[in-house]
Amino acid sequence: MSDSNNQSTHGMMAEFDSVDSLLAAARRIRDAGYTKIDAYTPFAVHGIDDALGIKPTKLPWITLTGGVIGALTALAMQIWMNSINYPYIISGKPYISLPAFIPVAFELTILFASFGSFFGMLALNRLPRFSNPVFTNPRFDLATDDKFFLYVDAKDARYDGEGVARLLGDSGAASVDPVVEDETPTEVPKIFFTLAGVLAMVAIIPVLVVAMMRVTTSSQPRFHVFYDMDFSPAKDAQQVTTLFADGRVMRPDVPGTVIRSEDGFDIDFQTGVDMEALAAMDPARAEHLVRLVAQAPADEAAPADEAAGDQVADAQAAGGASEPVDNTPWLQDNPLEVDAELLATGQEKFNIYCAVCHGVSGRGTGLVHLRAQRIQSPTWVQPSSLHQDILYANNYADGKLFSVITNGIRKMPGYGAQISASDRWAIVAYVRALQLSQNAEESDVPAGQRAAVAQAE
Amino acid sequence: MAIAATTGLDNTVERPGERAPLVLGNTTYHTITESVSSIAEQPPSKLWVLGFLVSASLASMFGLLIAYLIYNGVGVWGNRDPVFWGWPIVNFVFWVGIGHAGTLISAILFLFRQEWRTSINRAAEAMTIFAVVCAGTFPGIHVGRAWLAYWLAPYPSLNLWMWPQFRSPLLWDVFAVSTYGTVSLLFWYMGMVPDLATFRDRSKNKWRRMAYGILALGWCGSSRHWMRYEKAYALLAALAAPLVLSVHTIVSFDFAVSQVPGWHTTIFPPYFVAGAIFSGFAMVLTLMIPSRSIFKLEHLITVRHLENMCKIILATGSIVGLAYGTEFFIAWYGQVPAEQFAFINRAFGPYWWAYWTMITCNVISPQLFWFKRMRTDPVLIFIVTIFVNIGMWFERFVIVITSLSRDYLPSAWGYFSPTWVDWGMLIGSFGLFFTLFMLFCRFMPIINMAETKATLAHQLRHASHHVTEH
Ligand code: HEC
Repeated sequence: MSDSNNQSTHGMMAEFDSVDSLLAAARRIRDAGYTKIDAYTPFAVHGIDDALGIKPTKLPWITLTGGVIGALTALAMQIWMNSINYPYIISGKPYISLPAFIPVAFELTILFASFGSFFGMLALNRLPRFSNPVFTNPRFDLATDDKFFLYVDAKDARYDGEGVARLLGDSGAASVDPVVEDETPTEVPKIFFTLAGVLAMVAIIPVLVVAMMRVTTSSQPRFHVFYDMDFSPAKDAQQVTTLFADGRVMRPDVPGTVIRSEDGFDIDFQTGVDMEALAAMDPARAEHLVRLVAQAPADEAAPADEAAGDQVADAQAAGGASEPVDNTPWLQDNPLEVDAELLATGQEKFNIYCAVCHGVSGRGTGLVHLRAQRIQSPTWVQPSSLHQDILYANNYADGKLFSVITNGIRKMPGYGAQISASDRWAIVAYVRALQLSQNAEESDVPAGQRAAVAQAE
Repeated sequence: MAIAATTGLDNTVERPGERAPLVLGNTTYHTITESVSSIAEQPPSKLWVLGFLVSASLASMFGLLIAYLIYNGVGVWGNRDPVFWGWPIVNFVFWVGIGHAGTLISAILFLFRQEWRTSINRAAEAMTIFAVVCAGTFPGIHVGRAWLAYWLAPYPSLNLWMWPQFRSPLLWDVFAVSTYGTVSLLFWYMGMVPDLATFRDRSKNKWRRMAYGILALGWCGSSRHWMRYEKAYALLAALAAPLVLSVHTIVSFDFAVSQVPGWHTTIFPPYFVAGAIFSGFAMVLTLMIPSRSIFKLEHLITVRHLENMCKIILATGSIVGLAYGTEFFIAWYGQVPAEQFAFINRAFGPYWWAYWTMITCNVISPQLFWFKRMRTDPVLIFIVTIFVNIGMWFERFVIVITSLSRDYLPSAWGYFSPTWVDWGMLIGSFGLFFTLFMLFCRFMPIINMAETKATLAHQLRHASHHVTEH
């Protein structure tokens, strides 16, 4: 065979009918000294590696490397993410809790090792390879069906065209053909490029839209694909709803609703004002107060009641420095029966709510005041001492004291929202006792208890 | 010429000193190619078209229901306090379990050199992948805001500024199931490459040739390629074998690591794995028995294959039965009142019907396989496997629902009722599964031709040895 012919042929391909004849021929060719030989078979043929002298593959090492990388990646990832970058404390486990990291490490080891085997196999086999000269012979299609092929490469030092063909023929080949260069065009058909181009154009549209949205402003509200929790379906007080037949968002009390507070409802009790007397003097104000207080449940009467306190404050402000004019008909006496139990409640509540400012003894030197002095707060007004003539029972009606607690006065905030009406009355009783205690004579103490007081001092 | 003349032979009989043939009839390498490739080359049969239409419409219903769910929120399911893991999780565990047989057949039986696996492994692997697809769908939509399911992945998030919690079994699950899906896919695809090359080489039509050509990656059957391929296959099998065992172990951690009575048990991992193999083999048989007769593959998927699988079902079914018994024993022996109550409640509480369905299907029905007649009659096998499928679904139902509906606090007890969406999704997931499987039967090589030919070559060599010895 001439040299020019040799260049266009890649080698010689012989076809066999059975495994045995293939193996026999392979051994024979190899014995004849050929080394660049290969077989093409429809399945993995036992013993062909020996017959052709194929060396074992290094694929297991690639797999092992994959596995090791997987394990290390998983451990590093978990330790970094859960112990260093964003440390989680979970059921008191240490930050680096290896046993809990095993499952993911195991899975990634397997995953990476599998990638190693699969892609390693493809790489070592130089696959995918779509254009291969062996495919030029149409009979080669049977290599994946039931025929067996033996191939001698032209690059083999001993390759000599006809000689090889003869040797193969003698070894029992059904047919022997040279493998020629694949002349069919190898480039990808144009349609693929067109399709890919169109696809790329379409794919880029969303990206462009997003990019444009990012850099431009819009008067439209943000576009929500999913609402997530961006909008609360809750309604505001005066809105309309389709949920209820009457269309009202605010629901009236269910018939038979009972006030939760233990106080029952008594307008005088809630305001500290003798409402009948007020109605006689100033019907408009009385009506206003009643309407406001009556609308809220007893416990929450305070804000509505504010009007009374405001008026007191206004009146006092208007009345000039010395003699504030206050003609409100305050309740003179505590409506609750004053006994040891009530005083104990009053003391408890006073110590909770009032003592921080007014001090446990009521002298206006509570902790908040001391602190305000320490930091020399410029806006702080000292809480009044409760032991002043003007605040004593004969000058200062119980109802008025009740109203001060409920609504606050000048710099002092109101506590109506925090303290129930009966507790406020208990505080009133306690403040009275406190005032008494600071000005008491020995004769004020019941005879039986004088010894105990003397002992306490 | 390579011919296995074994027509009319009963290959379920053991003859001492002789290997039972795994390929029957006047089979040659070429007839193997013919009988497998022709399935994909001939126009589809009416039966296939009908089956495909039914399953594809069920699959579309599944898709629509998912859209409905995403639009309305998970309230459309029956998941209510206290049972927040309702049917979606039952279905998830059911499908993951089904997905175990494929890789088990391919990997573990391969490592144990059980040659009979060759003609069933391909379809079993495909089944695995389709089951994992169905399984993966459920937790994906169960997270509530399904469009944020990617939060499960450990990626540097600019919204959250935090990472997934790697000490949670639910996260392990994400890794286990996705790794399993990926590796099974690789294993399945790699196994198909030589057969896809066969399809390519037989295609008459240019486009078909191109499509299969791309899928076959230019496979030419070179012995060097085969050598590395076989090595890679063995390596993947060795990797997939522990993987398969790990997956259901980790799924069982979802339950076992929690403290719900009836879930918090160390027996769960082996018990779940045995159950998974049990249900997976049952599903393989459910699929293979009709397929082999529709596609005329009785000479490749022989009665011996069926019988072997029945034996595995018998073994794993007994393990599962033992596990049910052990759970009761430990509940009694452990003397924890909550645990004891959980088990008494399973068997005699409001869900007694589910429990006894499970026992009947999973423990009693496989015991029929002690009888050879039961193991060798395809119709009877088919019926039993249907029972096993039902039983294994109920097993997950019993575990998930009974434990959750009877929590520690009696005031929080409830009774789970599925909604029509639950039903639709269960049926729809079967639709998806069968759609994928039918597409596979139509377009892919459903039997591993290359390996079956190798088995035939082996069988022929043995036969000729026998002849020369006598
Ligand atoms: C946050 C500190 C603070 C608390 C708590 C507080 N007060 Fe006052 N209180 C003041 C201040 C400040 C004044 C003086 C207001 C002014 O003169 O502007 C005052 C004034 C008073 C007065 C005099 C009112 C008047 O007509 O001059 C009384 C009575 C009084 N408080 C009672 C109480 C009672 C009872 C409580 C417990 C429920 C209480 N206070 C809780 C800060 C407080």
